[in-house]
Amino acid sequence: MDKLVFKIKKNPELYAGAVITAVMLLVILLGRLFVPYDPDAMNAADKFARPSLAHLMGCDNFGRDLYARLAAGGATTLFIALATVLIGVVFGIIVGAFTGYYGGALDEILMRFNDAVLAFPSILLALVVISIMGSGTFKVIISLGIVFIPSFARIVRSEFLRCKNLDYVRSARLMGAHDLRIMFVHILPNTFPVLLSSTVIGFNNAVLAEASMSFLGIGVQPPSSSLGRMLSDAQAFLFMSPGYAILTGVTIALIILGFSLLGDGLKKNA
Amino acid sequence: MLNVTDLHIEIEDSFIPETVVHDFDITVSAGEIVGIVGESGSGKSMSALAIAGLLSRKDMKKRGSILFEGEELLTTPRSRLRQIQGDDIAVVFQEPMTSLNPVKKIGWQVEEALRIHSDLPDDELKKAAIRMLKDVELDDAENIYDKYPHELSGGMRQRVMIAAALICDPKLLIADEPTTALDVTIQAQIIELLKRINREKGTAILFISHDLSVIRSLCSRVVVMNKGRIVESGSVEEVFNNPKEEYTKHLIGSIPGFTKIAHVTQSENTDKILEVDNVSARYKKITGYFQIGSKQKLVVKNASFTMYKGEIMGLVGESGSGKTTLGKTILGMLDDTEGRIVHYSQRPQMIFQDPYGSLNPTKTIGWILEEPLRINTDYDKEKRSARAKEMLSLVGLDESYLSRKPNALSGGQRQRVCIALALMMDPKLIIADEPVSALDVTVQEQVINLLVKLNKELGISILFISHDLKVVYELCSRIIVMKDGVIVEQGTDKEIYDNPKDPYTKQLLLSAGYTD
Repeated sequence: MDKLVFKIKKNPELYAGAVITAVMLLVILLGRLFVPYDPDAMNAADKFARPSLAHLMGCDNFGRDLYARLAAGGATTLFIALATVLIGVVFGIIVGAFTGYYGGALDEILMRFNDAVLAFPSILLALVVISIMGSGTFKVIISLGIVFIPSFARIVRSEFLRCKNLDYVRSARLMGAHDLRIMFVHILPNTFPVLLSSTVIGFNNAVLAEASMSFLGIGVQPPSSSLGRMLSDAQAFLFMSPGYAILTGVTIALIILGFSLLGDGLKKNA
Repeated sequence: MLNVTDLHIEIEDSFIPETVVHDFDITVSAGEIVGIVGESGSGKSMSALAIAGLLSRKDMKKRGSILFEGEELLTTPRSRLRQIQGDDIAVVFQEPMTSLNPVKKIGWQVEEALRIHSDLPDDELKKAAIRMLKDVELDDAENIYDKYPHELSGGMRQRVMIAAALICDPKLLIADEPTTALDVTIQAQIIELLKRINREKGTAILFISHDLSVIRSLCSRVVVMNKGRIVESGSVEEVFNNPKEEYTKHLIGSIPGFTKIAHVTQSENTDKILEVDNVSARYKKITGYFQIGSKQKLVVKNASFTMYKGEIMGLVGESGSGKTTLGKTILGMLDDTEGRIVHYSQRPQMIFQDPYGSLNPTKTIGWILEEPLRINTDYDKEKRSARAKEMLSLVGLDESYLSRKPNALSGGQRQRVCIALALMMDPKLIIADEPVSALDVTVQEQVINLLVKLNKELGISILFISHDLKVVYELCSRIIVMKDGVIVEQGTDKEIYDNPKDPYTKQLLLSAGYTD
């Protein structure tokens, strides 16, 4: 017990982040599993219903259960963020590994391209991609994913640069290990501590980016719910039904807070 | 002048507070040079930092008393402590590469202590700094004043550090392993410099080192530490000639360069294992955008030598002499080389200098040891792990190490694992690049004994690359001396140590303490 207290004292961010994230995930999961309402089912009778035992958080302007919608929206947002980060990390690792390990002209060309992408705000770039491909959940994932590749590529590349001249890599080369084996079996695991914390922080950015895009109406399309979409709907009823906007905002804030604390904590541990 | 009694230091940072220094007593009189000697982790640096007031008061609990000129440093207020630090007590650290601020000019850094402790105008500060730089035998002081640390060599930086420490004319200089990171010849020069400063200015020096021969040549009294306790103290003659404690005897016995361990003579074997004929190696220095322009630097120039089966050959030189590059060239690790290298054996292996960098920190020892078999053979899991166990026991580690990761091992244990790794493919030639220079003397001795054992029992030839002539003396039958990429002399141990021909070899031997 004392040991746990000591560990928490040493890295409070990590534990606070883990607890907040776990609670938020649990709330969303419970909402998906046990709320007996279809998040998209409208019911004119329950329009702007106050919180009650039947509707724990009340209802929105179409009489849809707010908890069910928040849970569904949260799940959508998290799913999009996860898929986005996954694309960013996987391709980031590939680009970063090859550029960092081989260097040379390939490195110069890809990294200058990388710099160009990083120079624009990610939302703006995603906007460009969306306007070419059209909007929708799947397209949001693709467009945000592409935008997220450069930052991960950069992190992985710098870790590869650091590791490729270390003696254990030389020793692997001396054993006769081929380049791909050295890159992905010997070096890659050494990038995980740094990569893990930046993945969590990237996840955070993805949640925010998705929420902003949906808020602007270019992300997830109705009737599907997403947190950004709901926030945009709620602003019309800010005074009539403040709970709608507040609950949605708090949900986003807590998700972000949980993950950013978790990211900081992991960074400290790395 | 300095009187430390009954000092205990406790680290509060971890969950269970740990006492790292027990019952530490030391006295330093004005103008005296006192040494603290011990292996890494013995608490010698901790004690010295405590005296300098550089240990955090919050995380490090200290008990006892540190009296400096009659003032109790442990309880004196922080503001007063700051007045003493830099002015009366100054510190020179081990690592000249990191103890200077890379973004400030040399002059500014030398002046800093004086700027804090006096209100001299800028031009006076500059004069004092230049005088001080000249005093530490940096002749080009006016020029160096305007340079940045990266423009100076390691030895010059250490001189700058000493100048910065001495500018306020302190009464006590604490030198924490100030020569450890330097080449032997530079080391000898810095020691001479410290002796001169002590003689001329009367600065008392508290000299911390793991190197007994340095302590012996510099100090009048010495304190021997082990595991946070003082095991023995007394005058240098007393301690070295008549050590009372077992640990001190052991420590003195581990000083390399006094006994010959291996006796393999060249005549025993005439089968060649390696032939190096007129080999040159160059590094490309890449410059400019898109890595188009490149400068070339010749690091090894026309090296030729032959190694015979079962022999341990020494390759000696200072850092930058090209000895490591030659080793890498022999193993085909460099692209841009010329000349002929003939191997008469399969798969020569390399042992690297830094046991902390040469094992992948994310893998277990077992995984690391099996990797060469995984790549080069079709052994199944059982066969691979059997071989790994066999090699581990050969280097003196049991099989419980298989599941551990490198960071759970000490430097000596890691170097053993590296040796086991080199042995996995059953090589007949091992190139060992400074395999013991990162280790403590007693561990050094163990690793050297292990190499000699492998040489005797398995008949493995070893090319032993080192800057340390004393270590080389212990185990090599023939020696090659390199300087600036050129082999200046090669011969048997007798020829090199008893009758060196090249002036550079003579100088190296002299700096290592071999007189005639």
